[in-house]
Amino acid sequence: MKGVKLHVKVIALLLAVFGAASVAWQIFAQNIPVSAEITEPVWVIDTRISFSPRENMPVKIKQYLPPSWSRFITLDESFIARNYGVNVDTQGNNRVALWSARRTSGNQELFYRLMLTQRSNTRLSSEEPGPVFRDSPQLSGVEAVAVDALLKPIREHSADIETFIREAIKLINDNSNDNARLLLGNNYSEQSRAAVLERLLSSAHIPVEQVHTLRLSDTAQQTPELWMRSYNGQRWLYFNPQTGAQGLPEDRIVWWTGNDPMIQVDGVRNLKVQISSRQRIVNSIELTQSLSESRGMSGWSMAMYSLPLQTQQTFNFVLMIPVGVLLILLLRNIVGLQTLGTFTPVLIGLAFHETGVIWGVLFFTVISCLGLALRSYLEHLHLQLLSRLSTVLTFVVIMMALISVLGHQLGMKHSLSIGLFPMVILTMSIERLSIAWEERGGLHSMKLGLGTLVAATLAHLMMSYSPWVYFIFTFPGTLLVLMAIMLALGHYRGYRLTELFRFKAMAN
Amino acid sequence: MSLFSTWRSLRKRGVMGINRRNSDYVLRYNPRHLFPLVDDKITTKMRAIEAGIHVPPLIGIIDSEKQIGQFDQLVANHRDFVIKPAQGAGGDGITVIADRFEGYYRTTSGRLMSSEEIEFQLSGILSGIYSLGGHRDRALIEYRVKPDPVFSAISYEGVPDIRIIVLQGYPVLAMLRLPTRQSNGKANLHQGAIGVGVDLATGITLDGTWHNKKIQKHPDTVNPVRGVQLPYWDGFISLATRCYELTGLGYLGVDMVLDKDMGPLMLELNARPGLNIQIANDVGLAARCKVVEKEIERLNKAGVTTASPEQRLAFCQREFATLTESFSQNTAESAS
Repeated sequence: MKGVKLHVKVIALLLAVFGAASVAWQIFAQNIPVSAEITEPVWVIDTRISFSPRENMPVKIKQYLPPSWSRFITLDESFIARNYGVNVDTQGNNRVALWSARRTSGNQELFYRLMLTQRSNTRLSSEEPGPVFRDSPQLSGVEAVAVDALLKPIREHSADIETFIREAIKLINDNSNDNARLLLGNNYSEQSRAAVLERLLSSAHIPVEQVHTLRLSDTAQQTPELWMRSYNGQRWLYFNPQTGAQGLPEDRIVWWTGNDPMIQVDGVRNLKVQISSRQRIVNSIELTQSLSESRGMSGWSMAMYSLPLQTQQTFNFVLMIPVGVLLILLLRNIVGLQTLGTFTPVLIGLAFHETGVIWGVLFFTVISCLGLALRSYLEHLHLQLLSRLSTVLTFVVIMMALISVLGHQLGMKHSLSIGLFPMVILTMSIERLSIAWEERGGLHSMKLGLGTLVAATLAHLMMSYSPWVYFIFTFPGTLLVLMAIMLALGHYRGYRLTELFRFKAMAN
Repeated sequence: MSLFSTWRSLRKRGVMGINRRNSDYVLRYNPRHLFPLVDDKITTKMRAIEAGIHVPPLIGIIDSEKQIGQFDQLVANHRDFVIKPAQGAGGDGITVIADRFEGYYRTTSGRLMSSEEIEFQLSGILSGIYSLGGHRDRALIEYRVKPDPVFSAISYEGVPDIRIIVLQGYPVLAMLRLPTRQSNGKANLHQGAIGVGVDLATGITLDGTWHNKKIQKHPDTVNPVRGVQLPYWDGFISLATRCYELTGLGYLGVDMVLDKDMGPLMLELNARPGLNIQIANDVGLAARCKVVEKEIERLNKAGVTTASPEQRLAFCQREFATLTESFSQNTAESAS
């Protein structure tokens, strides 16, 4: 006996641990949301390129695309254009799309859409490529002198690469500095400052490159923001060439690197580029679902969702039955509630799913009462068990049809769902109620009926509580934990709640 | 009293709950394959007759629709008899015919039943409305027990019966069940009969229980239930003790009656006896079972694997003598 108890404890513990581990794996390793209510933002970035082609000239457009190692996970990427071929390629650290068409006429529009989740993509961002080495430019004459003059104070004021670059940015942006002015050559644009900075730093053997970034914010029109970056041997350091601020803010994505503009065209005039980004709120579980499809996540992480939709709906129902069963187990063995049949309340509770609790209880009561009346009349006819049961069953079906028709004509839509009531269960309930009435009296059978209704209502409420339905459907490992509880309850030997009242006379 | 303190106090007194009974006693001591032996009253009766245990004589068995038609011939020689479903539980479906009148059968409550009504009752039994699993059953027609007048002062109609709970052949608790007006002459506690505790050593009744309450008087006759000496007590208790060898079931409720002419008779056996016997005796069943289990363990260590029924009986009558205990307590109290 003791060995068996230990056995059960070990099995229950194993089941609980295994179930909990599978749930934990799904939540923490696979990032599956614990509630269907959880939403998260998704960024939709649209690039619209419009232009008019030159007569009889093939169109070739080269567009930089955000790299695949972005800090955010790409959900979807689409290229939309009529009669254009698109090729995606990599050039150095950049990803490039080549749009091409042999013959076009009229205004042309090309669309590129990118959808990003804000989920961090730690695994992929570590794949960010290192620098491509370039030769330092050969400077001569005045420029060489100006560069040397600038580098001297920078060297004095800096301690390492980071401070060196920040100091350099500060000097380039200082419009009163003659040396800087000379290098910029009266061109104070952002582009020119960046180019000078690049030249200056490479003379000091610190290679930097331009990065073009996009801010993820709800804006209809934005232009890529220019940043500079330098590789310190382990990772990229980002600098804002205007302010000297270091570190790319969280809401930026790198779009492309290098000195080229985002779009390079051939055979085109009136080029216009419009970039807009907007935030969309999506349901986390839907997001996870589409991610797992597109990224080929482990098939077990969302096992139930891989079923056909119809089957999923069925299992939404079926997987909740153990919850109802566990409730009945608790009600009967711990509370001591008396019900008709063992799992009858669960089945009636399932029927409540369609009718709702109030109508369900009403239907159950009405049909049971009518059935009991018929049953007590049939008693006088001295029928055999099977033909009596069949008669009551047919009567129950007729009553259900009648209630449906009457309800429909009165405009009560709830009455239609009565057809889902389990009629065989109802018939057996009527028979059992009737026998209980005869043998143990009306009070006892009322108690049984009421107990059944209470259990059915509770079972229904628990089985249809949508956060639980979601949780169990998404994390089926929960069922193992439920099983562990059931097993453990199998050796519960304490009093039932109702027994405390039953044996009250003995307690003193 | 809070629920928690009720729990603790019940626990302290060794009161057995349903969960404990099912897992620690029924499941542990009663192998499932032996259940049919007690679930079918006909099998029990046959076994008992073979073992020389007295039972109400069998008049006949009806196990097919064809035999229902021959019912009148079957009982032609008997004015009174009892019809029982062989696998009925808790006294359900039992009809007691006390007399005949102009071709009708008269039940103990005075109702007249025609042959057709009896036949309907029989066909109901055969189709299994009273059987535990709802499957086909047999009807059993047997001798109607005539209650001994010793109970008439504390009983209302019907036949009082004696229930003794036997653990591994050791009788642990006994109870006299008395029908009431409310129970329609049936000796079933669920239906409103009263249960009266019985001192194992002497067979003298103690206080009783009715609807989970403790009572001192019979609700119909208003006579006190305490202090009645049951006749043939040694016969009853040794009969119950021997039922362990008869069935092999380690946890057993033995139901017996006292017939005016035939003496102690074994009526039926129950593999899941009810728990209200504890209230009737005001004694926890688990507490007594523990004493017996300890004794069995002690004997096993001493190398005795099977104690004889006489030894077991003697042990229980010595250990569980309620009256002498309270007498000695009373005298101790009065002395101090």
